[in-house]
Amino acid sequence: MEFDWSPEDQAYRAELRAFIAATLPQSWAEISQEGPGGAAQVAYSEEFCAELARQGWLTQHWPEAYGGKDASSWRHAVVSEEMWGNAEPRGPRYMTVNWVGPSIMHFGTEEQKALHLPRIARGEEVWCQGFSEPEAGSDLAALRTLAIRDGDEYVINGSKIWTSYVNHAHYCFLIVRTDPESKGRRGISALLLPMDLPGIELREIPGLLGKKYFHEVFFRDVRAPVSCRLGPEHEGWEVVTYTLAYERVGAAHYERAERVLDTLAEAARKRGLLEDPSILERLGQARAAVEASRLLTHRVIDLREKGSRPTPDTNIARVAGTWAVRAVGDLVHELHGAAALAYDTEADGYYRLSQWAGVASGTTEVQLNLIASHQLRLPRE
Amino acid sequence: MDLDLNQDQQAIQDAVEALLAKHAGPERAVELQVDDAYDHALHQALEEAGFLEIGLVDGAGWLEAVLVVEAVARAAGTVSIGASAVVAPALLARVPRGAVALAGGEEGELIRHAVQASCALLDGGEEAILVPLEGSPATPVATNYVVPMGRLPGSLPEGERLGPGSGELLRRFWRLAIAAECVGAMRAALDLTVEYVTNRRQFGRPVGSFQALQHRLAECEVLVQGGRWLTLRAAHRAASAEAAALAAAHTAGTALRVFNEMHQMTGAMGFTREHPLHIWTTRLHVLRHELGGARLHRQAAARARWLHHTTQGVGRGN
Ligand SMILES: Cc1cc2nc3c(=O)[nH]c(=O)nc-3n(C[C@H](O)[C@H](O)[C@H](O)COP(=O)(O)OP(=O)(O)OC[C@H]3O[C@@H](n4cnc5c(N)ncnc54)[C@H](O)[C@@H]3O)c2cc1C
Repeated sequence: MEFDWSPEDQAYRAELRAFIAATLPQSWAEISQEGPGGAAQVAYSEEFCAELARQGWLTQHWPEAYGGKDASSWRHAVVSEEMWGNAEPRGPRYMTVNWVGPSIMHFGTEEQKALHLPRIARGEEVWCQGFSEPEAGSDLAALRTLAIRDGDEYVINGSKIWTSYVNHAHYCFLIVRTDPESKGRRGISALLLPMDLPGIELREIPGLLGKKYFHEVFFRDVRAPVSCRLGPEHEGWEVVTYTLAYERVGAAHYERAERVLDTLAEAARKRGLLEDPSILERLGQARAAVEASRLLTHRVIDLREKGSRPTPDTNIARVAGTWAVRAVGDLVHELHGAAALAYDTEADGYYRLSQWAGVASGTTEVQLNLIASHQLRLPRE
Repeated sequence: MDLDLNQDQQAIQDAVEALLAKHAGPERAVELQVDDAYDHALHQALEEAGFLEIGLVDGAGWLEAVLVVEAVARAAGTVSIGASAVVAPALLARVPRGAVALAGGEEGELIRHAVQASCALLDGGEEAILVPLEGSPATPVATNYVVPMGRLPGSLPEGERLGPGSGELLRRFWRLAIAAECVGAMRAALDLTVEYVTNRRQFGRPVGSFQALQHRLAECEVLVQGGRWLTLRAAHRAASAEAAALAAAHTAGTALRVFNEMHQMTGAMGFTREHPLHIWTTRLHVLRHELGGARLHRQAAARARWLHHTTQGVGRGN
């Protein structure tokens, strides 16, 4: 058992940190105020990812055959930690390189690979994830958006909701029901849908957690070529499971939480509060939650590096990650008091970000269900 | 990074588990509990097999020692395993004969194995003090918890002062030991409870099929695993002030939660001495108080990171 990073990964982290420090603009705190989906951050991410790609670092975790460097899962984790630790300068493009690209490599045709992978690798494409629907949230397999075959086209009707980055996306990783008679996990297919097709409309839903919107996407007789289907027809659930396993520990939330905690301690020091035992206690407690989350995530990376199939360790790490983020978020308010209510403060920015940790990409309750059945093997009803 | 046990570590874990299968386990713990006895036979077996000195052996270290402590706690061994296999070797570079007691240096404090121990390591603030306990000077204290407890007399022999900085060393390794014992006991209590709710049927179904219980068990699983990783990392870091305090903060903070939840979910049966759950849970209650409990471990973790202080104990010397 070895808890230390390899000397190569340590050296790489130092290099990456220097790069980030030299590259991020002065106004980064302002730019990143609304998170990866904020307009300013999305715009900046294009420039940043192009630069990252020039360094050969945007898709180094991809196989060489697709222009990557076959970097280890650990190297990829260093990137995730440094990016998320710095409020994710890749904006929505983190998602594109983390799981959209790998899913296309795994399930895609040669044409699909040739079309997307080089552009993703240069940081050019922005994608969104069209999974959730108004009637299909946690119960994703209840999705109803239809794509009915008409010759060599699909005709798509229905709607998706909570689709992050959709207002900036060139493509949507969309899951639809291709067999109208089907129910549940059968009869679903995944589509790589261009967002500029006629019949796609967006509705803005004002969000509570910042000056930005959620979106609902409507598809009205949208015609897409059959060639944009990813993987086998009606068997798209396999694609969904594959992508979710990548997504669930994609962002290194603990790294950001750790850095925010450090700034909280500094703020407490400036106000002469850092020697207060009750403050030390709260800081230490939050830090224990953050470090537990880090180690549980590292275990998932360790297993992935060793070629293991996804295990419930992923769900365990997710729950611990959510607790860590929430613990630090709550502490932001406790330490800053009412001052943390002011918009545009760093405290408020992190608090807003921490709020949805237990909902996005699978709720805590859903993770707990999976731990109960797959890890503890508790009986079903 | 590599988060699997290597072959040697796996072999050590297997070997100590094999020994424990013979010499420890819940039935043995219940037998001993009748007259608050210390398991001298188990202590001797562990000592003879070399498990107590494993932290000092070439090619092994604190991680291996912590694996032993965790396994003994899982098997409900009634021995001073954390003190004998982790704390004392770290301070003395040897394993003392017989049981070892750890004392925070607080007046009148309750001390685990005080009566049975042949020596005590005392937190004197800047220095740790090794006090021989010949002639059993301690008085037993009755508790409802199945761990022999006692009090040391106000005046003790001088003892051997272990030098500047040894107090901090004691606290660091003590925290690591607390964490390792907590992890072992929590793991066993959780596994036992999962088994219980899987078999126990009410309303025509296993009670473990109720989501209200499933989620709480799953949360405990997340907590126990998180605490275990923190503990193993602290061992790997030779109980660095921060890593050890984080491990103790997490595990001692979780211990009460696990105690409460496991007893809630096993109903009345869990509150009897006929069901073995109490063997582990009552130890958790003792462990969670040691060295000031989660409150002081959390403060210690924060001090180590942001104030770069040595940590503080509970005693007068601090
Ligand atoms: C910031 C943010 C970004 C998002 N981005 C995207 C995106 O880009 N693409 C996308 O497709 N989706 C996205 N989502 C949607 C997200 O995946 C869903 O919100 C999530 O899956 C939960 O679905 P829901 O909101 O419909 O809640 P519901 O499923 O309605 O759940 C409501 C409550 O019931 C609980 N519940 C539901 N089922 C169970 C059960 N079986 N057992 C116990 N409790 C249960 C839930 O845990 C929750 O507490 C995003 C969400 C947020 C908040």
